Amino acid sequence: MTAFVIRRAFLAVITLFAVLTLVFVIVRVLPGDPAQLILGDQASREAIEALHVKLGLDQPIPVQYGKFLGDALRGDWGVSMVTGQPVLAEVLSVLPWTIDLTLVSLALGVLMGVPLGVWAAVRRNRMVDYLVRVVSLAGLSFPAFVSAIILLFLFAIELRWFPVISARKGSLQAWTQSITLPAISLGLNSAAYITRVTRSAMLEVLSEDYVRTALAKGAPQRIVIWRHALRNALIPIITVTGLYTSTLIGNSVLTEIVFSRPGLGKLIVGALNQRDYTMLEGMMVIYTLAVVVVNVLTDLAYGLVDPRVKLG
Amino acid sequence: MRNTLLAGLVVAALFVAGEAQAQKKTLTIGMGSADAGKLDPHIASTTPDKGLLQYIFNGLVRVKPGQISPDTIEPDLAESWESNPGGTEWTFHIRHGLQCHWGYGEFTAEDAAYSIKRAANKATSSYSNDFSSVVNAEAVEPYTLKITLKNPVAGFLGYVANINGGNMVCKKAAEEMGDGFSKKPIGTGPFMFAEYQPQQYVRLVANKQYFRGAPMLDEIMYRYIPSDSSRDLAFQSDELDMIYGKQDQSWVDRTKQIPGVKVLAMEPGELSTLFLNITQKPFDDIRVREAIAYGIDRKAIVAFKGAESSREAVSVVPSGYLGTDEHAALFPYDPAKAKALLKEAGYPDGLTIKTIHTTLTGMQTFIEAVQGQLKKIGVNLDIQLVEHATYHAQIRKDLSPVVHYQAARFPVADVYLTQFYDSASIVGTPKGVTNFSHCNVADDEIRAARLETDPVKQKELWKTAQDKIIKAVCGIPVYEQLQLWAWKDNLDLGYDLKGSLNLAPPVTEKTHFTN
Repeated sequence: MTAFVIRRAFLAVITLFAVLTLVFVIVRVLPGDPAQLILGDQASREAIEALHVKLGLDQPIPVQYGKFLGDALRGDWGVSMVTGQPVLAEVLSVLPWTIDLTLVSLALGVLMGVPLGVWAAVRRNRMVDYLVRVVSLAGLSFPAFVSAIILLFLFAIELRWFPVISARKGSLQAWTQSITLPAISLGLNSAAYITRVTRSAMLEVLSEDYVRTALAKGAPQRIVIWRHALRNALIPIITVTGLYTSTLIGNSVLTEIVFSRPGLGKLIVGALNQRDYTMLEGMMVIYTLAVVVVNVLTDLAYGLVDPRVKLG
Repeated sequence: MRNTLLAGLVVAALFVAGEAQAQKKTLTIGMGSADAGKLDPHIASTTPDKGLLQYIFNGLVRVKPGQISPDTIEPDLAESWESNPGGTEWTFHIRHGLQCHWGYGEFTAEDAAYSIKRAANKATSSYSNDFSSVVNAEAVEPYTLKITLKNPVAGFLGYVANINGGNMVCKKAAEEMGDGFSKKPIGTGPFMFAEYQPQQYVRLVANKQYFRGAPMLDEIMYRYIPSDSSRDLAFQSDELDMIYGKQDQSWVDRTKQIPGVKVLAMEPGELSTLFLNITQKPFDDIRVREAIAYGIDRKAIVAFKGAESSREAVSVVPSGYLGTDEHAALFPYDPAKAKALLKEAGYPDGLTIKTIHTTLTGMQTFIEAVQGQLKKIGVNLDIQLVEHATYHAQIRKDLSPVVHYQAARFPVADVYLTQFYDSASIVGTPKGVTNFSHCNVADDEIRAARLETDPVKQKELWKTAQDKIIKAVCGIPVYEQLQLWAWKDNLDLGYDLKGSLNLAPPVTEKTHFTN
């Protein structure tokens, strides 16, 4: 177990280094000048050059890279080129919003997706199965921002149950009001995804000999399905859920925009539009870390559900 | 039991009713951007940032709220002013007892002098070019500011008005905070910066010591809502009282349907111009440039963009500026002549020209309409779409022979002419700003007009400059896009809104809700 964690940590450092280098290169290869964007379109070339010096962008690329790596090693994330705020502070100020939304929509996805998938598998090729398959396919193909607008229109404008600006905090009621619609919008998509994976994993397990044996020796169907079969089908479901969590963190930008919620997605799109190099670099570290952590947690979960999996 | 319940309900109902009757004191504005930028008035260049900062800052003088014409300039922090006959020495008499926000002390001529110097310094200001003629700004007495200029400057008061570098910052706060000033901007205006929540809002509170009197509103919530549809929906659900509109006619038509709502297409218009690089093939041949000018149908573009939210260009400078030639001889739409000119220039079968263009929706629909029009004269406009930051970088490197640019530089023609048509502003050069066409035909007139003290002669010079630029087809002005806003009609702005130099409606001490 310890050896496993150490090995993964070592791999994570290498991944991080590679990502950092890649991001450093990519943002500088992109056309677009942060100084121009900060000063606006009435600034003269001279004023822009002056800002380059201030931001250190006049230095040769290898020098910038060396400084960047040195800072990164010391854990110095730098300050945003646009706002002048420390990158870490900017990230931390919106991070809770992203974590909230990711966890709640993931929970929704699992709570809806797993039972639906199991149900469809058990009733294979019957009405329920067809219905679940069609609806989940629709859910997958439906862009989150369209469902978001429809949800807002129905529940915020027509029924007035929820606010349009879903960014309230301070009390449990405010929090619930703000997170419900965005989480449903994102959660529907992940539910569709998880339903489909659960269904196919369950179908495979249900055709195994031990399931037939269990049923033959008279174990109640409920126990066979939920304890024997589902437990064995969990590995692919966990894999997919883990992978999906990483995508959720990255893909929530449209949901954040439509529901006017702060979040990492908006932060990174804004940084990209503004060519905020330091911010982009800092964000990439966070994303890489998030993916690495989610992957490690997924691996640990395997060991939890399947005693045969030995981490080491 | 039932009685208790009933009594409870009655009390609750009374409570709710009482709350509803209380005067609404918070104005919530929905702005179309994802987040705040640098909230420093001498740096901010975007509509969302300028719109917000105008509530916090004053100028020495101001354009009357709701107006944009320099003719309406009136006292702001300075109660009076005078200049020497040559227009090179300006004296401003600062009001007594002005207070900087959050206890930063009295605003005096010392602060005003500091502010002008800060705006003129390219290390601390995006607008240093506007103050290149300023030799000195000093407080000769506690309430007397003297500004000395190298040469007279056309419409000088416009530069010390409540916009861009003219915004007056408090010296103590700016010096103490340095770069941090943009995180807590300190001015003298009717509202004070109170709180910033990233990607959500900036909250301003009333400045009870405001020299024109305490504002009737308690608070402004300035919310960042980048999605046009979300802004519209939040406006409909009464979460927003005023919104920045989606900048097209269909939005105007749709929003007008909502009961209790005012919709306004506000001045100033942003002029859409096609700049042709006169140093590059095929535009080094004036016949090709003329052909393009003849090939553009301004009327059709306005019909396409919407009659209420846009209007035809009148000259290479937007209409309504001091010095605009409102009846300039722009090229008429004449496709036959365009084709003939192309043939004469050696392109009987037409030609393909390239433009690098931004993906901003409003601008993109325009260039596609232009593409359709040019097809009729045999010109194939190859539009290469890139995202906005890339567009800004590439058009400044002469990579796009045709540059479509949209801009307002109110209120004096000089700024527009200087930035877009003076050869000193050619992109890539040290003083370069936005002269994409490499135009150099009207340098003499533009520069002479800048120094001319006789207003009549000055206007003549500007008119000649515009004529020359139009004839040389450095740029083809097409249409002006107005600023679209909507607000609830229980909001009384306290003045008559025609336009705003800062591109968002002013909120003054008199702005309030009526019930």
